[in-house]
Amino acid sequence: MTPKIMKWIAIAELTLAVVFTPVLVAQSRKMIQIKGSDTMINLVQILAEEYMGKNPLTPIAVLGGGSGTGVTAMINGTCDICNTSRDWKQKELDLAWEKGTRPRLFAIAVDGLSIVVHERNPLTKLTMPQVGAIYRGEVKNWKGVGGPDLKISLYGRQSNSGTYTFLQEQVLGNKPYSTDMKEMNGNAQIVEGVLADTGAIGYVGVGYVLDKTTGKPMKGLRVLDISRDDKSDAFSPLDKNAVDTGKYPIARPLWMATNGKPRPDLAAFLQWELGPEGQKIVEREGFYPIGAKYVELNAKNFK
Amino acid sequence: MARNKILKAALVLLVAAAASTGLLAQTPPAPPQTFSTTIYFDYSFNLTNDGAITGTDAAKALNNKFNFRRAYFTYENKISDYLKFRFRLDADNTGNLTSTSGSKDDKLRPFMKHLYLEWSPDWIQSKVNIGMIETLSFKLVEDRWGLRSVAKTLVDGYKDITGADIRQSSADIGVTWKGTLVKELRFALGVYNGEGYSHPELNKFKKFEGYLQLVPLAGLSIFAYTDYEQQVTTDGTNKYAKTYKIDGYFDMIENLNISGEWFTFNNDKNYDVVTNPDATQSQTHYNVSGWSVFATYKIQPEKFVVFARYDSYQPKSTVSSKDLSLIILGFDWYAWGANTRLQPNVWIYNYKDSSKKGDIVANLTFFMSF
Repeated sequence: MTPKIMKWIAIAELTLAVVFTPVLVAQSRKMIQIKGSDTMINLVQILAEEYMGKNPLTPIAVLGGGSGTGVTAMINGTCDICNTSRDWKQKELDLAWEKGTRPRLFAIAVDGLSIVVHERNPLTKLTMPQVGAIYRGEVKNWKGVGGPDLKISLYGRQSNSGTYTFLQEQVLGNKPYSTDMKEMNGNAQIVEGVLADTGAIGYVGVGYVLDKTTGKPMKGLRVLDISRDDKSDAFSPLDKNAVDTGKYPIARPLWMATNGKPRPDLAAFLQWELGPEGQKIVEREGFYPIGAKYVELNAKNFK
Repeated sequence: MARNKILKAALVLLVAAAASTGLLAQTPPAPPQTFSTTIYFDYSFNLTNDGAITGTDAAKALNNKFNFRRAYFTYENKISDYLKFRFRLDADNTGNLTSTSGSKDDKLRPFMKHLYLEWSPDWIQSKVNIGMIETLSFKLVEDRWGLRSVAKTLVDGYKDITGADIRQSSADIGVTWKGTLVKELRFALGVYNGEGYSHPELNKFKKFEGYLQLVPLAGLSIFAYTDYEQQVTTDGTNKYAKTYKIDGYFDMIENLNISGEWFTFNNDKNYDVVTNPDATQSQTHYNVSGWSVFATYKIQPEKFVVFARYDSYQPKSTVSSKDLSLIILGFDWYAWGANTRLQPNVWIYNYKDSSKKGDIVANLTFFMSF
């Protein structure tokens, strides 16, 4: 190789680096990238819009794809904040450890995971074991759980969904879902499916069952009360007190995670979400504000 | 006319009935099957014309070209939370795509690369793969390099660069089991035919592989790998092909990866020309070895990445003049999103043999994945 060619290569590399680097670095610093849970996407989009209204110099992009997609993006360094509607799985924590990602979790809201049926279904409550048996495909007719003689249609999420995993772990006893379950792309699609199918059952975040204009459950939808077992009382996910006190058995925190201690722009956004303004929006969108337990955990993770 | 009205009324009734049963309102379920395609395509040209590679008459006559280096077509089916099936077709530049024979029929012909079942039970995060599967030797380092479209990693591409066959293949027929004992310690074991994906099994001996991956700190991995396979001999002696490999991966600084790998390959057959009719080496035993270090830095993740790599090859431990080194420099620009990337890169070869002049080849690589 001749020195002339070496010089040519060096000049070309340097020129490209000089041209591209400042532009791209500037771009990367401008936009906060948030990715993950579809249950959280509407809520976080609204929070981001409100925040951007007050802080126009901090643009925020919010994408869904499911909790699993968000975790993968965080481990691969392609998002700043990942949203999950479930805890991180052990294998995700192990992969994060291997790749040098140190997730710090912030609970931004509490969700009463809601079990919904068509309003023509007269059933008003189920136990957790009954919900598990239905979704495992062990009970195929509503008659089997005290309902009408009607075939059960299962509506659920895809396996990259945090809600899918949460229900599987908490209610199905980690057993597989029935292969008859229709795997929908998001909470809104589950609601659409249930509204159109009298034999349907679905599971969605509580924020998706309310009609935003009336603050009541959507017309055509029945939100079931759920009890831990047949000896316990059943509670509604719409009962704030029951969710807060843990009486509603399938409540869960909604998480945002950063890689390590959040950098200043991320910390500012998270602090705002967790403050009075952000929590008011959380409540307005049908979810529940975080309680003292999570306030303490969040404060620790800011340090 | 009346018949038309009846038909219209029937159609309206049919639609109404369908809507009332929810048939029209249901969003179709997302299929568990996925189809994907990945293509590596180059325009390459020689910046030198007097080097060991670029100085030959053939290279001078073909000093620039467009070239498909790889085209994958993959079908995956997630049968359940624990079971997955993969079928992958692969077509590379041995598939006559770049043949200059002038034959009327130099079409690209794909071959089967993967055909396996993956079972993922919860126990120690196990993954068991059965069929035509990915081997264990360079998957992890390839993940760190992340630029397979630009270049294979050291062990994967060793034969292409040096001509020395170190009996490593990215896929083979057999079984692997991977697991995580604790977050600091992972392992994998595998057994294969040992002939890769290009040949059927030729003998009764199987190839055994295993690795341990130690992750003492978040973002720091040490990977120790070994494999061996007994060789066919005519004199009744036991002879083995063995590989030892150690890698280190440093991911402790955000967006920066620095990795290194070293390996040595011992093939007993190299000193037994009589029983290995293909061997052209002397009966002196020698090892094949090499090492590589590379760094990738994501200036903006999924937008712009710069990379640099240095490989050192020692294809014959008894003849150091065969040693060579390779430097690869370039950047990875996600020009039109994550699926379409431009990866300009330069390969610089240097040879220990002072009678050989170095080579420089520039490539404009296109990466497409859909």
